[in-house]
Amino acid sequence: MVTNSTRIQNGKTRAARVSRAARGACALAVLAQLAAPALAGPNEQAQRIYERIAGVPPTPAVLAQMAQAISSGSGQSGLQAAAAIATNAPSFYNITLKNLVIPWTNRDGTVFAPLNDYAATVIGMVRDNVPFNTALSADILYTVNASGLPAPSVSNNDHYAAAETNGVDLSSALKATTQSVVYGIPAAATAGLLTTRGAASAFFINGTNRAMFRFTMINHLCSDMPTFMDTTRPTDRIRQDVARSPGGDSRTFLNNCVACHSGMDPMAQAFAYYNFDATVGTQGALVYTPGKVQPKYLINAQNFAQGFVTPDDSWSNRWRAGPNSVLGWDTSLPGSGTGAKSLGQEIESTDAFAQCQVTKVFQAVCFRAATSAADIATVASIKTSFKAGGYKLKQVFQQAAAACPGT
Amino acid sequence: MKRKHPHSRIEPIFAGVRALRVAAALALSAALAACTAGGAPTAVNQATSNTTTANAYTGPAAQTADIQAFQINLWQNIRVANRCGGCHHEGGQSPTFARSDDVNLAYQAALPLVDISNPSQSTLVLRVGSGHNCWVADPNACAQTMLTWINNWLGGGSAAATKITLTPPPVQSVGGSKLFPADSTQFQKLIWQPILTQFCSNCHRPDSATAQAPYFASSDPDQAYLAAQAKINLSVPAQSRFVERLQSESHHCWATTTGGPPDCPGSAAIMQAAITAYANTIPTTQVDPSLVVSKALSLEQGTIAAGGSRFEANIVAKYMFETGTGNTAYDTSGVSPAADLTLYGPVTWAGGWGINVPMGGKAQASTSASQKIAQMIQATGEYSIEVWAAPADVTQTEAYILSYSGSDKTRDMTLAQHMQQYEGMTRSTVTDSNGSPPLLTAAANMNAQAALQHIVLTYDPINGQKLYVNGVFTGDVDASKGAALSNWDSTFALVLGSEVTGKEQWTGLIKFAAIHSRALTPAQIQQNFAAGVGQSYYLLFDVSSLSGIAQTYILMQASQYDTYSYLFNKPTFFSLDPKAAPSNLVIKGMRIGMNGSVPTVGQSYATLSATVGPPGYSAANGQLLSGVGAVVGVDAGMASDMFFISFDQFGSHQHVFVEPTYTLQPPVPSTTPQPDLGVATYERLYHTMSSITGVPFTNPTIAALYNTEQQSMPAGPLLNAFVSSEQTALSQLAQAYCAQLVGTQSYRDAFFKTTALDSPISSNAMASAFFGTTSSPNSANITLAVTPLVSATVGTANPQTATAMTTELSHLLPLIPTLPGEASTTVSRAVQAACTAALGSGAITLQ
Repeated sequence: MVTNSTRIQNGKTRAARVSRAARGACALAVLAQLAAPALAGPNEQAQRIYERIAGVPPTPAVLAQMAQAISSGSGQSGLQAAAAIATNAPSFYNITLKNLVIPWTNRDGTVFAPLNDYAATVIGMVRDNVPFNTALSADILYTVNASGLPAPSVSNNDHYAAAETNGVDLSSALKATTQSVVYGIPAAATAGLLTTRGAASAFFINGTNRAMFRFTMINHLCSDMPTFMDTTRPTDRIRQDVARSPGGDSRTFLNNCVACHSGMDPMAQAFAYYNFDATVGTQGALVYTPGKVQPKYLINAQNFAQGFVTPDDSWSNRWRAGPNSVLGWDTSLPGSGTGAKSLGQEIESTDAFAQCQVTKVFQAVCFRAATSAADIATVASIKTSFKAGGYKLKQVFQQAAAACPGT
Repeated sequence: MKRKHPHSRIEPIFAGVRALRVAAALALSAALAACTAGGAPTAVNQATSNTTTANAYTGPAAQTADIQAFQINLWQNIRVANRCGGCHHEGGQSPTFARSDDVNLAYQAALPLVDISNPSQSTLVLRVGSGHNCWVADPNACAQTMLTWINNWLGGGSAAATKITLTPPPVQSVGGSKLFPADSTQFQKLIWQPILTQFCSNCHRPDSATAQAPYFASSDPDQAYLAAQAKINLSVPAQSRFVERLQSESHHCWATTTGGPPDCPGSAAIMQAAITAYANTIPTTQVDPSLVVSKALSLEQGTIAAGGSRFEANIVAKYMFETGTGNTAYDTSGVSPAADLTLYGPVTWAGGWGINVPMGGKAQASTSASQKIAQMIQATGEYSIEVWAAPADVTQTEAYILSYSGSDKTRDMTLAQHMQQYEGMTRSTVTDSNGSPPLLTAAANMNAQAALQHIVLTYDPINGQKLYVNGVFTGDVDASKGAALSNWDSTFALVLGSEVTGKEQWTGLIKFAAIHSRALTPAQIQQNFAAGVGQSYYLLFDVSSLSGIAQTYILMQASQYDTYSYLFNKPTFFSLDPKAAPSNLVIKGMRIGMNGSVPTVGQSYATLSATVGPPGYSAANGQLLSGVGAVVGVDAGMASDMFFISFDQFGSHQHVFVEPTYTLQPPVPSTTPQPDLGVATYERLYHTMSSITGVPFTNPTIAALYNTEQQSMPAGPLLNAFVSSEQTALSQLAQAYCAQLVGTQSYRDAFFKTTALDSPISSNAMASAFFGTTSSPNSANITLAVTPLVSATVGTANPQTATAMTTELSHLLPLIPTLPGEASTTVSRAVQAACTAALGSGAITLQ
C-alpha cells in the first residue's frame, strides 16, 4: 500500500508535480503580500501580535477582540491590551514558550529535545506571573496534572516527555509544587532552574560542573565565557585540574585560561555537592551530597598540584570588580556565600540577567535582534518595567510584541 | 671528617644563618617530605665503564664498604686522565682525591670536597660546574654528571637532602620601572588608533557581533587602554602579548602591503615598533612610593632548593636539559659512553630546563653511544623509561615521546602518546620486532593531559610493561606479560620526540628523561615523582622594616616554570632569628612585583588575609600564609627579573589597592536594516496547519510524518536563514494535512462548509469535468473549494492578499488537468493540490 505521505515524498509522483506548480502559483500571492503597502491596520497588527505570541493564527473572534482592543486603546496601551489577549492562548505556553526555553536545557542549544522539568517550570512561572528573578534560587517546580502520565521522578524524564507526546495543554495542566517535595532535595539545596532534573542532566553530568556555570551565563546572562574574559582577577581559586603550562607554554594559561577560570572557578564552587549520576535507573538522577565535595572537583590534581583544592561549596564572586563589574551586581547582596541557591540569587539579581531575559523575549516575538537604536531603547524600557513590575516575564512578551506589531 | 648517615648529622647554626629542616619541619614541599619517610635503603650501584681507559687498579683494597662505594661510583670515573686524574693524581695537584695508587687515600682527600647533606653544593660539583676542567662543552652537564656519581656513592635512594641552609639575601630596594600613565593620549595616538582600531576591532570591542574580551579595540579609548595594559610589556616591547600573538601565533595578522597577503612578521614588527615608540614616551619611574613593599631579589639570589633525592641506582642515561644553548643535550647519567642527544630541526631550549619539540623536531643520540642501553638492559632483562613531559595537545596520535629503535617498524622499546592514552612498546620473545602488541592505557582514564606529567614505563620479565603517570600505576595490564629481551638489537638509536626516521612526531615540552636498567618499583617511582623536576629556589623577601622585627622574611619557593613564567609557591612568614616573636601581625593582599611594577595577571595571593603570630607561627616553621601556587609571567628574563612583594596591609602599613573603574558601554546601534517578517518554525507550522484544517495534530499519519520531518523544517525564524529544503519539508507536512482533510469526510465537510464536494470526491470524478477548463471554468465549483481555503489561510486581516490568493487558486484548479500527464486528475487530487499550495505558501510560513 502506498500512503499519501510516501507518495508525497516521491518527487516524481503526479501529485508532487501538481503541488510544485501550485506552490509556484501561490508564490506570486506571497510576493504580492510582501509587496503590499506596509500600512498595517488594527487587523493586521492584531494578527501579527497573535501569531508572534501564540505561534498559530487567531480565530476570527479573537482577532476581532484584539483589533477592538487596539482600536480602542491608544498607542502602546492598545497594542499591549491586544497582546494580553494573545498570551491567554494555550499555544503561547505549548509552543512559543516551550520552544524558547528548551534550547536552554541542553548543551547543544537545540530546540529539538523533549519537554522537561526545566522548561515546564519556566512555562509555569510565566503563566502564574512568578517573579522571574527567583528562577535560579527558588524551591520551585511545575509538574503536569493530567491523566495517563508517569509520576514525576528524579531519575527519569518520562512524566514530561509523555505529557508532550500526549499533547497535554500545559497552559492548564501545569501545577506548581517544589523540588524538595517531588525530588526530595533539601529545600536549602534547591536553586530554581539550576537544580531541575533537566539542567542537572545536561550540565552536572560528567565534567567538573563548570558547565552549569557556563551555560547559566549563556542562557541567563546571554553571553558565553569569551565575553567575560578578565585576566586580572586573582588566581588563587583556580582548581588543580587547570594546567598552568598547557603543552609547556604558560602563555596560554596567563592569557586565556586564567581569564575565565579566575572568575568561574570561585563561583562554580557553589555546585561542589552536586552531580548527575547517569547510572541511576535508566536515565540518571541528580545527586546531592551535603558536606561532601564531589570527586569531579578533585580530578587531574597533578595538572597543577599547587592549585586550589575544593574543600566545600563556598563561592566568591570575583567579578564584582574589574571589567565584569558592569554586569550590574546587586550591591545589597554580599557577593559570596555557600551553595547553589545563593549563587543563583547573585546571578538572577544582576541587571544583566533582566537585560538578557528581555532581549531573548524581544527576539522571540519580534524575530530580530534588538540592534537598531529604536529597538535598543525599547528593550531598555521593557527591562526597566520588568524590574520595577515584579519580574513578570509574561508582561515582557506583551510589551515586546506590542513594540513590533508591523507598521 | 667522618661520613655519617645524613639522618644522624647535625649542622651547627651560625649567627645569621639558620639551618632549616625542610622536610621534617617546615614541609616546604611534598617532594622533600616524601624523601624523609625513613629514607630509602642504600642501593648497590652498578659499575660503569669509562671513556678514557684507566690503568687497572693495583693498590690496596678498599678498607670499608663506604670506600668501596666511593671507588665504584666516583673514583673510577674521575681518576682518568681526561677528568680529575689528569692533575689531582698522586704527587700531583692537591688535593689528590683522584690518585690512582691508593683508593683509601683518595677517599680521605675527597671527603672534604663532598657535602653529604646537600651533594649539589659539593665542591667537586661546584668546581666543574663553574667550568673547572669540565670534560664536555657544557659545565652544567659536568656538574650534573659529578652529582650523579656522588649520589651513587652516597646511596641512590638515600635521603641526602634533608637540610636547606637559608642565608640572608643581599638587601636591595625595589628598582624603577616604566609604569602606565593615567593619561591614555599617547596610547591612543601610537597604538590604539593606528593599529588596534584598524585591525582588531572586528572582535575585540564590546559591540561587535563576535565580541571577544579583552576589549582593547573598544571605541572607547579609555576602556581600550585598561584592557590593553596587560598585553603590553613596557620594559621589553618584543615580549608584549600583542607582538607575540602576531609573531609566533599568526593571530589575525594583516596585510602590510596593498593587496598583499596577511603578513605576520610585518604585522608583528609594526606592533613592536608602535609599542617601543609608546614605551619611549614613558620615563622610568621609581616604584610607586605609596606601595607597601618588601626588599627585592632575583631568582638566582635565592637559596637553591636541592629537592628530594631521586632513585638512580640503575641509571643508564639521563637528560636534564640544563644546557640552554647549542644543539647538544648532555647525558648526565655518568654512565659512559655518554649518549648525548643532538637536537634536530626546530627543537628549542625551554626556560627552566627542558626542550620544546615542535613539528619536525627530534633529539637523537648516536647508535654507538646508544649501544649501552641495549647492553645494560639486556643484562638485567628489565628497564624503565622515565620522562617529565608536557604534551602540546591531546589530539596527537601515535606520537613517540622516547624511543630506542631502528626504523618505523623496528624497535626495542618506545614510550608514546596516543591522544589521551600513553602507550608502551617493547620487543621481547613474546612480541614482534615492532614491539607489538603494545600496552595502551585505557582511553576512558584520559591519562595523558596537556600538562607537565611524570610518565614511567617499566618492563620486567613477569609483568611485562607497566605505565605510571604522576607516580600512580595506571592499572593497565600488559596482555603479553613479560619475557626475555634477548632479541633486542643493539644497533638502534635513542631518540626523543619522534621515530628515528622523523615520523610518528610527538610535540610538546620535555623537561627530563632517563632510562634505567631495572624496573623501578612503585616506591621508587613515587620517590622520583616527588623529587620533582627543574631547579627551584627559596627566596627570602625581607620584610624586617615592615614588621619591625629583625630578620623577618616572606619565604617562597620559586622556580622558572617554563620559558614564559615563574612559579611561586607556599609563601611563609619566616624569621632567621629563632627568638623572633611576631604577634597579631596582619598581612593582607599580597602581590608579587617584578622590576618595579606589579603584574596584573597571576596574582594568587591578592586575596590573602592572615594574622601572623601564635598559634600559627613557630620559630621552626614560621607561618604558612597560603597553600596555593602562583604563576607569573616572565618580564625581562630570568637573569634580570627582580622580584618583590607588595602588600595591601602589613601590620600598620597599608596601601589601598584601587581597582580601575569600568563603565558599561552602551551598545552601538546598527543601521543595517533587518527583515520585519520571520519564518514560522517547525512546531508553529505543525499546529498552525492543524488549526487551519481542523485535522488534529495527533492524527497518526500526520504525527508520524512530523516526527521524521520536524528537524528538516525551520528551527528559527530568521528569514535570511530559510532554505529550500525547509520549504520542501514544510510542503510535505502541508500535503499530509491536506490529504487527511480532503480524504476524510468529516474534516472535509466541516472545513469546506458544504457536502457538495463529497460526491465528486468519493466517486473519483475528473477534475476537468468538475472545475471546468481554463477557457471555460466552472466558477461555482471552483468557489466551493477556493473560498474556504483562502478564508482559512489568509483570513480577513489582509483583503489584498486574500484577493490575490483567490485569483491564483481559481486559476490553478482548472489548470491542473492541462499539465503533462494530469488529464485524468481527480477532484480529490486537485483539491489537495490547491490546499497544499495555500497551506505551504507564505501566507502560513511567514509570520
